[in-house]
Amino acid sequence: MTRVRVTAPRQSATATPGASGKSPHPREFVEDSDAGRIFIRSLIRSQLRLALVVACGFLVILSVIAVFLVYGPGVAETRIVGIPLDWLVLGAGIYPVIGLSAWLYNRAAARNEARYQDLVEDK
Amino acid sequence: MNPAVGLFAFLAVSIATAVIGFYGLRISRTTGDFYVASRTVPPWWNASAIGGEYLSAASFLGVAGLILLSGTDALWFPVGYTAGYLMLLLFVAAPLRRSGAYTIPDFTEARLDSKLVRRVTSLVVVAVGWLYIVPQLHGAALTIRITTGLPSWVGSTAVVLVVCLTVVAGGMRSITFVQAFQYWLKLTALAVPVVFVLLVLAGTGAQPQAPLPLNPTGQSAAGAYQHISLLVALLFGTLGLPHVLVRFYTNPDGQSARRTTLIVLGLLSVFYLFPTLSGALGRMFAPDLAQSGQADALVLLLPGRFVGGVAGDMLSALVVAGAFAAFLSTTSGLVVSLSGVISQDLFGGSVKGFRLAALLAAVVPLGFALMTDTLALAGSVGLVFAFTASTICPVLLLGIWWRGLTDAGAIAGMLIGALLCGGAMVAGTLMGPGNAPAWLAQPAAWSVPAAFAVTVTVSFMTKNRVPASVNRVMSRLHVPERPVVTER
Repeated sequence: MTRVRVTAPRQSATATPGASGKSPHPREFVEDSDAGRIFIRSLIRSQLRLALVVACGFLVILSVIAVFLVYGPGVAETRIVGIPLDWLVLGAGIYPVIGLSAWLYNRAAARNEARYQDLVEDK
Repeated sequence: MNPAVGLFAFLAVSIATAVIGFYGLRISRTTGDFYVASRTVPPWWNASAIGGEYLSAASFLGVAGLILLSGTDALWFPVGYTAGYLMLLLFVAAPLRRSGAYTIPDFTEARLDSKLVRRVTSLVVVAVGWLYIVPQLHGAALTIRITTGLPSWVGSTAVVLVVCLTVVAGGMRSITFVQAFQYWLKLTALAVPVVFVLLVLAGTGAQPQAPLPLNPTGQSAAGAYQHISLLVALLFGTLGLPHVLVRFYTNPDGQSARRTTLIVLGLLSVFYLFPTLSGALGRMFAPDLAQSGQADALVLLLPGRFVGGVAGDMLSALVVAGAFAAFLSTTSGLVVSLSGVISQDLFGGSVKGFRLAALLAAVVPLGFALMTDTLALAGSVGLVFAFTASTICPVLLLGIWWRGLTDAGAIAGMLIGALLCGGAMVAGTLMGPGNAPAWLAQPAAWSVPAAFAVTVTVSFMTKNRVPASVNRVMSRLHVPERPVVTER
């Protein structure tokens, strides 16, 4: 494990991380052109759209489950290996949905970023 | 329960915590080490540490207790605690890491270019932290009382002592290792006894005293409003918790912050299966605990009830150890992040100031905890989430995603949110748990939208105050640090 020293917090809160020299396309350079600013805006917009889509999708699934458990016909009597259905769904079934949403989001977010970087490189 | 068992478990966890803490001390020397472990913690360590810090008394004791009391209604708590991390991943994780700020006040100051915003944010963060430490200390008091018969104050005071010692000695470097260790300890401490109890019950063919869906206390089920309000609080409260956010600064870049969050979601999902199982077992085989008002102690008492002799004592010791790991890890995480905030604003950010601030951050909530009494743990932590969601969450979300946010909007939103949610909490407490109407007992459903509305409206009214640096800061938040490797 390599150890990287950082400076006192206050300074680094306002310092520009792009200046670390790691990035082949210093952010400042991209920002200085009109095209660069458009690229950055569209990156932010696509990331926000993605986050909202995943969040809304998850909330819709959650509400459908909640409504189904309360009003679904025969839910109260349904048992799977002796465990009532509502316990099974709320106690275990929802977690894979959360994990899957997160995994899909991570892939899509990384793809958005890769697309941005391709655009910047093409310039 | 045998008092020696509880004491032994507490001492063992404290010593293990201290040993890891002091081991960390040997390699912890710079100011950066003290604040954020120099940002070189790999995702798995980091995720375990986040899990260790996040799983508090409410998760370890409170969830099972609440399931015992109110059944499927309570199952929404762990779902909300986990889904809160999904929201954190979607809206906060990578941008916040890229902001390069160490604490939430650092972030708001850099984003809005205003010292006043920084001060208001610091006040709110300290309030949230103190509110959140109190239930941890209540949990410690309950555990010590139930397991050793010693007076309640011993538990809370002991936790504060151990936390102060480790934080003052090692700072964040050792805290990361301590937290990671404590996640796995907590998981083991819940899972092993539950599995043993299940085996014993299956072996003896014991018949349940009550069917699972039956409500042992006869409380009326929560309505749709309570469910929605609780979910709003948990989903939007998680992303504003100061001790959780500070962890993200220890990821090397935005992508690894996202990867870490994904692992955290997995760790939480696995963990919450066990409080749920404990709660279900308690409902079927120990419904009397609900009637005698000891629901929060269910997890502690369960193994002793069904597994006798030395094996039972050992399992009990394991659970008590896990419980103390929960109090210690959450409290120390909060103390670290609070002392980061307090020391930068009051003591100029030196290592000595950090140590002083750590004492301040831990001793004040101890006073509160000693003066107040244990409520239902999961419920009181739920209220803290509501408070965070009404104050920090709007500023953070709008700051990351909306260029139009102004310093005036941020301050107005935080103050109104704190006033509305805090007022509802005080009024609800004064009226007593049974008497407060649902909208006062669970304020999140209206206080969070109100805080958002105020922030946006005031920002629109003060358009000329949008900081000149907004474009630069926004691109720092969202532009990847280096060529991205797409996950396949």
